[in-house]
Amino acid sequence: MLEARTLRKSFGRTTALDGASVEIGEGEVVAVTGPSGSGKSTLLHCLAGIIRPEAGEVLFAGRRLDTLDEDARTRLRRENFGVVFQFGELVPELTAEENVVLPLLFGGRGRRESLEAARSWLERLDVADCAGQRPAELSGGQLQRVAVARALAAEPRVIFADEPTGALDSLAGERVMGELVGAARESRATLVVVTHDNRVAAYADREIALRDGRVVAGATAATGGTADGTPGEAAAGASAAGGVSR
Amino acid sequence: MSTGHVLLGLLSERPKHGYELKKEHDQRLPGAKPLAYGQVYATLQRLERGGLTEVAGTAQEGGPERTVHAITEAGRAELDRWLAEIEAPAPYVASPLFARVVVATLAGGTAEEYLLRQRAAHLTRMRELTARKASGSPAQVLAADYALQHLDADLRWIETALERHTVLKGETDA
Amino acid sequence: MITVVRMLARGRSRRERARGRLMAAGAALATVLLCAAAHLTAFRLDARRGALGILTEKEPRLMVALTLALLAVPAAAFIYQVSRLATATRERRLAALRLAGATPREVRLTGAAESGWSALAGGTLGAAVYLLAALVARWSLGDVVPVRPLLWTPVVLAAVVLGGALSGLRAGRHVVASPLGVVRRARPRGPRVRDLALVALGVGLLAAALAGKGRFLLGGKYGAAVAIAAGAVLLLFGLVLATAWLIRMAARRAGRGAAAPETLLAARMVEADPRAWARALSVVGLTVFFGSAVGAHQALTVFQSDLTAFQAASYALLYLALLTAMVTSAGALVAHQAEALLDHRRSFAVLAASGVPVPALGRVLTRQALVAALPVCVVSAVAGTGVVVLLLAELYARRPGALAVSVAGAAAMAGIGVLAAVLVARAARPILRRWVRPGELRAG
Repeated sequence: MLEARTLRKSFGRTTALDGASVEIGEGEVVAVTGPSGSGKSTLLHCLAGIIRPEAGEVLFAGRRLDTLDEDARTRLRRENFGVVFQFGELVPELTAEENVVLPLLFGGRGRRESLEAARSWLERLDVADCAGQRPAELSGGQLQRVAVARALAAEPRVIFADEPTGALDSLAGERVMGELVGAARESRATLVVVTHDNRVAAYADREIALRDGRVVAGATAATGGTADGTPGEAAAGASAAGGVSR
Repeated sequence: MSTGHVLLGLLSERPKHGYELKKEHDQRLPGAKPLAYGQVYATLQRLERGGLTEVAGTAQEGGPERTVHAITEAGRAELDRWLAEIEAPAPYVASPLFARVVVATLAGGTAEEYLLRQRAAHLTRMRELTARKASGSPAQVLAADYALQHLDADLRWIETALERHTVLKGETDA
Repeated sequence: MITVVRMLARGRSRRERARGRLMAAGAALATVLLCAAAHLTAFRLDARRGALGILTEKEPRLMVALTLALLAVPAAAFIYQVSRLATATRERRLAALRLAGATPREVRLTGAAESGWSALAGGTLGAAVYLLAALVARWSLGDVVPVRPLLWTPVVLAAVVLGGALSGLRAGRHVVASPLGVVRRARPRGPRVRDLALVALGVGLLAAALAGKGRFLLGGKYGAAVAIAAGAVLLLFGLVLATAWLIRMAARRAGRGAAAPETLLAARMVEADPRAWARALSVVGLTVFFGSAVGAHQALTVFQSDLTAFQAASYALLYLALLTAMVTSAGALVAHQAEALLDHRRSFAVLAASGVPVPALGRVLTRQALVAALPVCVVSAVAGTGVVVLLLAELYARRPGALAVSVAGAAAMAGIGVLAAVLVARAARPILRRWVRPGELRAG
């Protein structure tokens, strides 16, 4: 589904990725972990086609992603990927509902259809009450759940989350992770979570461990935490907190 | 931890008989070792001798007749006293994990590989606990939280050990 | 104190340095305009020299002086707009001063010294340029141009520097209350009733001065002139601030009915901070207002065959003034655009990362400009034309074509105003492209 081969990327004199290779299957939930500066976020940005690696290849559904031009990558991101950021990163001027609607409109959907989709996602994540509020009026947990709704509303095939609970206390973080994993499994989307929190990593089927820009564990499903490779089957319809396939 | 105090706590809700106490103990403290019947009765006898509990009658629900125990005023006072005490912070640095990691870092070369495998094992356990939390009872969630956070602490310590190891190695090599 | 300012000046970022220079430029412009206005009122009256009549005849001369003085308003707006550039870095720096143990007073003074210095540098340059121009005029026109009023120049300069220092005093006010104040960004305020009070005050002053037919309660003839000028300035400021209401209303309407995501986002962004747009567009609105008024007046003369050199010269001067105002307003718009981009940088970067094409974000910028500029320019054009048409209703009744011509002129002026705002927004696209790079997304 998603594959990176010997990626290299540096910023100035710091090497962020130094030959990292990973393989992620369809519907898998993986956690990318590692100490700060190990290249987690850079790997995520490369996989999501936000930045291009200096060397190596990124493949999505068998298609080279790193060689596409900016327009094509942007379209690919819009149609196939959803992103959740550490601080929610909602547009402060828009209401929660409008924040969810916006990417749908940009994706070419009609206003009414987008509004309906947004409302049902907000409801699904239990933030329907906040639909008319602006981000400044929301709590951290609510904010992040709206961000999850925004990422999921366009029904992406892959969801990328960069430290999605980094700014939350543990209960709010647990809730967000539960919703995120549960929703991803329900819609059979692949979920890639970058985190330095082991408790967040424990939601994933597999851990991809990075050290100094290299993958030291879990590069493929076979070497990862779960060996069965059929993640999500048992938990597809499971409770909101999401299950693990064993 | 004193089993007597846990039983007093369970009795503070309402009078209960021995079998009930055993069942509730195992349910409320799912992470702890299950309580043997013999231990329940021995403890109840001890409490009664000390005037902390008393026999409140008998109950029969289809099965054999059972003695119902109730907490006394003295028992409540003792329970309050115990709850007011704090647990001495105990860093269990004598754990097998600690010893293994220290020896592994001393041994050099293979330390990193060992630590990574230990990490994988920990994470697998954490994954199971996380999954259990999704469908468990409130008591099970609390127990899973407790275990998860301890495993997380272990992992973070292993992580630091790994980094320190690299730093120390750099120093001795230089 | 001086040591601290100097130390800080050495450590200033490039952006802050640029702001200092822009402030100086604004101060120079304001000084030249005010000096010219002050000087002009003292020109000798008798010598009548054709086209120069507008400088030597009493009535038009007063009008020209007033126009020049009013032109200082856009210059002031420009300075204010520029002073808001790099506010974030500047406030962080002032906050650091507070944390390092400076008292609120000292922080205020530091801010005042910084901007006062820029104003002094610019004002001195402006005064020098004007003195030079005045000497050239004296040499070519002889004793029409009196020399003694040039003594007013230092007074103007002092006023400009004082204005600069005062704006600096205000700049640190978020920081003064709490050293950590900058961390919490206050929500931008909406329009206030005070703005409408200014309009009322301005109208009152103007009405009182005009009702007295050249006489005023205080100071006789001069008092009336001062009252007219003050009333006009107050009215203009009030109207500018009142445009915040107008802009917010327009943005809310645009947002409600928006089908395109670009329009929705643009409208909401404008709605969230209408005051900033009102400030930036104030000068554009003024220019459109005056332009339409002049156009409406000129529409009457289009049908006159005997357009004198005098009239031609006065129109030329007016259009020159309008051009100056337009250029200044474009400068204020650029400054505002830079500030707005900085504010929305993260939102745009996130949207780009989630698959919104950069050209679409560029459209958001232009639509913001449209949503904000369109109502302001239309209202200004209608008001400018309306004032003249109402005042000269009799003349208009006699010349049926004139109304059509003035309406066309007003539409053209409004179009130019909107176009200026849109062009500035379009010019900001390369900056946008640079700023939506994923480096902006790195957490913490």
